[in-house]
Amino acid sequence: MIDFYGVSKRFPGGQVALDDVSFHVDAGEFVFLTGPSGAGKTTFLRLIYREDTPSEGSIVVHGRSVATLPASKVPYLRRSIGVVFQSFRLIDRQTVFENVAYLPRILGTPVAEQRRMALEALGKVGLGHRMSAFPKQLSGGEQQRVAIARALVNQPDLLLADEPTGNLDPELSLEVLRMFRRVRGRGMTVVLATHDRFMIERFGGRVLSLDRGRLVEDRVVEGLEPGEPETEAEHSAAATVREANPTVREDDRGNGAPAPESPEAGPVEANVP
Amino acid sequence: MTLSRALGYFWREAARNLARSWRASLVAVLTIGTSLAVAGAFLLLTGNLARAAAGWRSELTATVFLRDDATPEQQERVLELARAPAWARAAEMVSADTAAERFGATFSSLADVVAATTDNPFLASVEVTLDPDALEGGALAGWAARLESEPGVEFVDSDQQWLERLVEVVAFARLVGLVVGLGLVVAATFTIAFVIRLTAYLHLEEIAVMRLVGATEFYIRGPFYVEGLLQGLLGGLLALSALFSLHALALSRAADSAWLSLALGSFLPWREQVLLLLLGGFAGLFGAVASLRRESLRPAGSD
Repeated sequence: MIDFYGVSKRFPGGQVALDDVSFHVDAGEFVFLTGPSGAGKTTFLRLIYREDTPSEGSIVVHGRSVATLPASKVPYLRRSIGVVFQSFRLIDRQTVFENVAYLPRILGTPVAEQRRMALEALGKVGLGHRMSAFPKQLSGGEQQRVAIARALVNQPDLLLADEPTGNLDPELSLEVLRMFRRVRGRGMTVVLATHDRFMIERFGGRVLSLDRGRLVEDRVVEGLEPGEPETEAEHSAAATVREANPTVREDDRGNGAPAPESPEAGPVEANVP
Repeated sequence: MTLSRALGYFWREAARNLARSWRASLVAVLTIGTSLAVAGAFLLLTGNLARAAAGWRSELTATVFLRDDATPEQQERVLELARAPAWARAAEMVSADTAAERFGATFSSLADVVAATTDNPFLASVEVTLDPDALEGGALAGWAARLESEPGVEFVDSDQQWLERLVEVVAFARLVGLVVGLGLVVAATFTIAFVIRLTAYLHLEEIAVMRLVGATEFYIRGPFYVEGLLQGLLGGLLALSALFSLHALALSRAADSAWLSLALGSFLPWREQVLLLLLGGFAGLFGAVASLRRESLRPAGSD
């Protein structure tokens, strides 16, 4: 589903956002992307949906080379990817329905079908009754759920979320995370960027850790909250990481992580095909 | 998405944008309306004068005035020479007495003055009706010179000189109108471009969201293009309405002035009305397209 091959991103002025990052994500995986602020998480996601292009390396999403995709084809790539932002990014002057049905609308879907699709997506996030409300009439949690519904409305294969719980209180954050786990159950690949380690430990899954633009960890964490079983890909990812990188140690729950004290602990590339 | 649905969406969004930023839109519409009204006023005045000149050309006449002492043979020869060119449709002899009668009939208030004179002050003449072809290649001037050299001819008077002067004046006025009008339309286009760009900047975040969910550039820019088009068309309609009202008002007050009545004659023909409207629409569309270069709709820092 997603392949990064030696991807680096440098901004004008020399600031390095990503440094030689390689990895592979299978279809249907649930991946946490974590790291401190400024680690490169947002850039990582922006590269996937071609909001930005890498300085080096190549990125393949859905079998398409994203970096070399002609500008005219980018909208079609994005239609197959749902994106959720920390700041929701809803269109204030449009109703909940119009926000959620935006993509079907620009695809020329008949209005009745748009309505059905929006209602279904809003139903998944429990907001089917707020179709005619405007974003500013909703709470932060509700707005985020609308943003998730918008990302889900076209049933994309890939869902990207950039700090989706950053503006929410802990209770709402849990609710939103549970929502992501549910949609993943339909075979959707989910990449969720967060710096909230509590969430990761609570829900578990494959975790990619970035630090100053480098991929320093690729492991599987078992969650405390019962969810779906790990996919085969998650198992194999963690196993491969442990085999390939001798500096990765087993943590208390048996997951691999690079030894922080080791100066050689470099980027984890074991999962790269 | 089908084109008809996309166009429907563009129109709805454009109308919504116009209503939301109505003050800026009003400025744009007024600017283009004023520019087109000025261009239209020139078109109206010069059009009427040109039509009048064309009418006069089709009724072109020349008068060969004969000397008092011209013999019948000389008169006959002048009549013959006057009829000679192919573009001389007809020629007739008018005696001095007939000329005096005509004057008395046309200017009845002066009839007594003419009757009081012992000698007839009018000259006998040959009146020639000409085709407009006579004005081509100096034919009329050559013909008049030839006749003036004939014995028995006092002088030749034709409409040529003033008609040519009128045609020159009309052509110059048209040129001035065209330059001034186009200059103003260009200025108005810049105003529309500015307003469209302002509207686009107000929607920059929204546009970024549209891009993220997979909207194409055509879909994102379409409403702005239609907004520019609408502003231009509304400006054209405003110009036509203002011109129509002003024309009607001026015509009602110009009855005493023959020249003004002539210049105001009739309102713009429908083709020119459509032309003004289309010019407005084109200026608006062009302004919108020019203002929305690829980079202009991207937030700072994006690729």
